[in-house]
Amino acid sequence: MQLTPDDIVVFTLAGLEFNATIVNTWIVMALLVGISMLITRNLRPDVPPNRWRTALETIVKLIQGQIEEVTRNSARHVMYFAGTLFLFIALSNLMLVIPGFSPPTSSLSTTAALALSVLAAVPVFGIASGGVRHYLKTFIEPSIIMLPFNIIGEFSRGISLAIRLYGNVMSGAVIAAILLTVAPFFFPVVMDILGLLTGMIQAYIFAILATVYISSATAEPDPSVLKKEDKS
Amino acid sequence: MSIDWVTVIAQIANFLVLVWLLKRFLYRPILDGIDAREAEIARRMAEAGEAEKKAQTAEAEFHQQKKQLLSDQDALVQQALRESEDQRDSLLAEARAKLEQEQRDWHKHLERERQKFTAQLQRAGEETLLELTRKALRDLADESLEEAIVRQVGVRLHPIAQELSDAAGDSKEAIATTHDALSEPAQALLRADVNKLLPGINLRFETDPEQAHGLVLRVGGAQVAWTVDSYTEEFDALLSERIAAGVSGRVQPGTAKG
Repeated sequence: MQLTPDDIVVFTLAGLEFNATIVNTWIVMALLVGISMLITRNLRPDVPPNRWRTALETIVKLIQGQIEEVTRNSARHVMYFAGTLFLFIALSNLMLVIPGFSPPTSSLSTTAALALSVLAAVPVFGIASGGVRHYLKTFIEPSIIMLPFNIIGEFSRGISLAIRLYGNVMSGAVIAAILLTVAPFFFPVVMDILGLLTGMIQAYIFAILATVYISSATAEPDPSVLKKEDKS
Repeated sequence: MSIDWVTVIAQIANFLVLVWLLKRFLYRPILDGIDAREAEIARRMAEAGEAEKKAQTAEAEFHQQKKQLLSDQDALVQQALRESEDQRDSLLAEARAKLEQEQRDWHKHLERERQKFTAQLQRAGEETLLELTRKALRDLADESLEEAIVRQVGVRLHPIAQELSDAAGDSKEAIATTHDALSEPAQALLRADVNKLLPGINLRFETDPEQAHGLVLRVGGAQVAWTVDSYTEEFDALLSERIAAGVSGRVQPGTAKG
């Protein structure tokens, strides 16, 4: 039983093996970018939006609204990052229902890559928002004793993100595969439907957690604390 | 369960590329489009608000003008009514004045005609009366009216002879004026009477067609007249009374007797 698409080599080019994870990722990427390009190619403010554009706008506004609820501001860069996470994971999980298609998110390499991206994005956004000093200072808060715990917590976030997503997606695929051998009819369909639901929930949770981590790093410093620092 | 680190690196790269691509082809166009549309809607709503404000202003102005026009119309109608009433009153007054003037002119004309007719009638009556008197005297007494008057003058001069003599003073001439020339016998009779009562006074005879029938004797500053004037005047009065009674349609019983 094949549990991860990393082991499936689709093609080899110049000595490099391109496994199913990478190829399927490209397919998901192509779908996302292709649909976006198709819908947004003729955007004009004076033309009323068609139903596809309205649907896309609804999705984007939904993502933006969720992010604004978490971050309390409308930083577009966070939305580009977290929104892409959500759309990529959601579409990958939705494509679970396509027979023979292994979602990239069922690979621990993909989820680890996404978790590493979030892990890297947190300091990047934090430094971009408040500067290096302010970001590093968050590690010794509320006390310098908390420094090792904060560092461990920072890394454990990424690991938990990666394992959670991988476990959920992979478990869905594994359960579907097992049930397919036990009861070939009906049950796998129900489980696939359940897999769609859990896949969407996982995409939402992953994106929201990433947003929460980033927003905690980019939170505005308390003005009273800043005043005290100036006096000292 | 294993992690292929090459795949991890590739997936990180893929993810970053996807972020950039979606930013380029999805988020930015969609969000910019939404912003532009919101701006467009805001602009159109502002324009609509402006247009509504203008429309309300125009409506208020229109209502004001309509009210003003109605007010002006009422004023014009009232003024036209007043002017027409004034003109009607003026025309009526003018017509009434003209009518009264014509009525007065007509009355004057009638009065003139009546006076003219009365005068003609009086003259005709006088002449007829005198002619009848003459004819009666001639037929009944074989005497003319002038001769009878001259004879009567002789009787009437006698009581006032002294007064005439005093009035004559230094004058030596007396003038007897008649309507028609007196006959020779009448002249001789009168001259004899005058010479008898006023000696030394020369009597001269003159005629005056304007004078009434009869005789007027002037001596110096004194004048004695025996004419039919008083009779004709009485006749005229009687005639006028009868004519007036005829005009009014009834005759006064007391005055009709004469």
